[in-house]
Amino acid sequence: MSKNYMSHILPWLKTAPGMSIAISIVVAVAATIDAGPYLLVNMVVTGGMLALVATGLTLMLGVLNIPMFAHGEYFMIGSLIAYYIFTPISEFILEHPESWLVTFGPFIAIIGALVGGAIAGAISEKLVFGPLRRRSTDNWVMNSFLLTVGLSVLLINLHQLIFGADFKGIVGYWQGMPISIADVYVSKDRVMAFIISAVIVALFYLFMTYTRTGMAIRAVSQDITGAEIVGIDIEKIVLLTIALACALAGVAGGSLLFMYPSYPTVGLEPLYMAWFVVILSGLGNILGAVTGAFIVALLKVITMEYVGAGWDFVVPSALIMFILIFKPSGIFGSDVRGVLDK
Amino acid sequence: MLLEVKNLNAGYGYLQILRDVSLHIDKGEYVGIVGPNGAGKSTTMKTIAGLLSPMSGKVVFNGEDITGLSASAVAKKGISFVSEEMNLFVNMSVQENLYMGAYTIKEKSLQNERLAFVFELFPRLAERRKQLAGTMSGGERKMLAIGRGMMSNPSLMLVDEPSFGLAPQLTTSVFASLEVLIKNGVTILLVEQNVTKTLAVTGRGYVLENGKIGLEGKSTDLAEDSYVKKVFLGV
Amino acid sequence: MDTIKNELQMNSFDRVLDKLCLTPIGLAGLILLLILPFIPPFNQEYILRWLIYCGFIAAMSVGFDFTAGYINIVNFGYMAVAGTGGYTSALLVINAGLSPWIAMVAGGVSSAILGLVIGMISLRLRGIFAACLSWFFGLAVMGLAVKMVWLTRGPLGLRVPRLFETESNFPFYFLIIILVYLTYLICKWVVRSKMGLAFQAIGQNMDAARTSGIDPVFYRVFNFTMSCAIAGVLGGFYAHFYGILTPDMMHTSKTVEVLAVAYIGGRGSLWGGAVVAFPFIFLMEIVRSTLSNLPGLNLVIYALVLILVMIYYPGGFSYFYDTHIRQPKNRALRYFLNGRDV
Repeated sequence: MSKNYMSHILPWLKTAPGMSIAISIVVAVAATIDAGPYLLVNMVVTGGMLALVATGLTLMLGVLNIPMFAHGEYFMIGSLIAYYIFTPISEFILEHPESWLVTFGPFIAIIGALVGGAIAGAISEKLVFGPLRRRSTDNWVMNSFLLTVGLSVLLINLHQLIFGADFKGIVGYWQGMPISIADVYVSKDRVMAFIISAVIVALFYLFMTYTRTGMAIRAVSQDITGAEIVGIDIEKIVLLTIALACALAGVAGGSLLFMYPSYPTVGLEPLYMAWFVVILSGLGNILGAVTGAFIVALLKVITMEYVGAGWDFVVPSALIMFILIFKPSGIFGSDVRGVLDK
Repeated sequence: MLLEVKNLNAGYGYLQILRDVSLHIDKGEYVGIVGPNGAGKSTTMKTIAGLLSPMSGKVVFNGEDITGLSASAVAKKGISFVSEEMNLFVNMSVQENLYMGAYTIKEKSLQNERLAFVFELFPRLAERRKQLAGTMSGGERKMLAIGRGMMSNPSLMLVDEPSFGLAPQLTTSVFASLEVLIKNGVTILLVEQNVTKTLAVTGRGYVLENGKIGLEGKSTDLAEDSYVKKVFLGV
Repeated sequence: MDTIKNELQMNSFDRVLDKLCLTPIGLAGLILLLILPFIPPFNQEYILRWLIYCGFIAAMSVGFDFTAGYINIVNFGYMAVAGTGGYTSALLVINAGLSPWIAMVAGGVSSAILGLVIGMISLRLRGIFAACLSWFFGLAVMGLAVKMVWLTRGPLGLRVPRLFETESNFPFYFLIIILVYLTYLICKWVVRSKMGLAFQAIGQNMDAARTSGIDPVFYRVFNFTMSCAIAGVLGGFYAHFYGILTPDMMHTSKTVEVLAVAYIGGRGSLWGGAVVAFPFIFLMEIVRSTLSNLPGLNLVIYALVLILVMIYYPGGFSYFYDTHIRQPKNRALRYFLNGRDV
């Protein structure tokens, strides 16, 4: 039996996904032994957040062919909404420490971020992407990309104009002692942030795999004419996809408000990182994006630990470029829709 | 009358392909459109299916004007289109493709009924239900496309070039499966380059040339027509 | 045949204009730019500073359009490439005591090398992924500039000797106008040669270009290298004009500025960006300085213009000009707008 397993695992290890996952695990374990378990905790929390943002990015690119440059701004919108919902709640909690809001207040803020992200995405589709699609789809990828660049600049500066450029952050969502996991004390917020992202990614995966609407989204990404002739309403699916993708970014911003206070350009870092993930893992599937998210998070955390803060753009981007030279379609990218210019 | 097309003009951009095409199909009929390459057969199909908007003219289905509706709206009215390129979802399994075919049906039980029916029709698809559509052979894909078209329980099926790119024995089996559909009471509008075969199986036919309907009539009469014989059959 | 006939019909003035890639209106515009600093209010030093910035963006947008408009690849790290040139030039002047003029050329060479590397690596990637790769490159280079404090003094910025030892901005203004024109002229010469056709063929359809015997490798890399060399020289100008160089210059948002001007001007025209930059950037500077209590408003306008142009007029100003202005009934006017080309 065990021999049977090995015969499956060994060839898998020689493939690009196997190799990169195995190397990542080894590196993660080694670094944890060397520097302490907090590194692993950081990686898991960052990875969870990145998985949310990167999945949305993959969705936009895979289904709608929009290389989204404004995705970080929905992260920003999510964090802004969570801030304005949670600030009054936390004042209320201060006065009524026994209220049920102590436990459930943060959820209201985070769900608000989710819904807000979805609405912002839907509005963008109605006002920006929809009009372009109806006008012309020539050179779509480039035109829509430039459109998202404009959208990004617009949203960042609207934030600055209306809410100012200062940091709008909170001390923390959940009060109380940190939770001890294997001798490391991890704040409740971090644990919850990871649980929330894990649950949402899992739900999203199930939604895409098993529900009628999720299948319709995949169908549109694979053959848009085929989707039309079986009666799928393309406009509706497009609207839903954008709303979903932006909701994922929004909830990431909301649940990480305690780490990333809201300010105009807060979305840039998650955006860069999510693009690293998408390029690294290729236009494969959701699972590829999630795995890639943890690999990139590991890279970032390790760089911060051993090279120093501020190098976390240099080292990962250099490494990703290096990988791209050998595997241009990304680690998990299928050859069907790779990034190669065939 | 199930479908009536009146004075249809259509094309791509400034290029007009169809000129005043009129045709009609009654319930339960098996109608073929034959004609040389580039005559506008596929354009006719795409316009009826809603993938192309006509420049002028009317498409009436079940007494309802469906001219210029989107393809998905047309599909919801009960017309299913099996395109020449098949447009399968290549990264989905056979079963998922079939379920997508039943997208316009909301009830799960009805979907499963249709699935059972299609599997009965094409046992080959049942064997391969877990396989990805992109990894199947040409003939199997054609069957899957037709099966997917059947899933929505359409009142009219538009089948475009089912024999395109298939080996002769596979062509025969695809035609046989269309035959079964007719026996089950489905109305079919078939477009084919294979004139002999089409006129042999269909009840009525249209000859399309240069975007215009040249001849129409019973398929047996058309097959005997001296002009058709000369131009298409080379006799 | 036709061209020979045209050459015969031209008088010597037309022939010179044609060699200089100018139309009579273009010449008039150039002369206007050259006498502009003598006309009040443009003779004031602070307004001249704005105009110099306009000129810098104009020249950058021409170099950017040389890649984006012809081989259809958005070099999203363009400002980082320019910054590399700027830093190289500044460091050579400071540490090696080179003349700024020679250092600027050296800056161009260093950027060209960077362009060569990016061009080689992104060679096999599809349009948008090549854009991402150049973006990552830009991020990495900017990260290096921030972190290599011993060399670049990091975010504190380098003090750089200026090109002219004078407080006045006049000589800088004339220099940048000459640079704008030279950039345009060189790019135009290249795209007017057989190479331009090859570029367009590659930009529109790589496979078709390859099957008709065009070697995409050579042309893509050549194009990339040349446009990066231009950016490097301009970066040197930027450094030696402002006298202070910070890594902020390489920020993606600066590239977005160049990109927006190039696209609003009209892709594939070369002159569109240069023409649009002067009024557009100038107006933005006015908005920024008069409404300084509303920070970000100028960028909001900026983004809105980009979005509207991308949706409703993706051809940009040059397309508008070609379709609506260029062919008037009056013969004299037509000559003025087109030169003798009929």
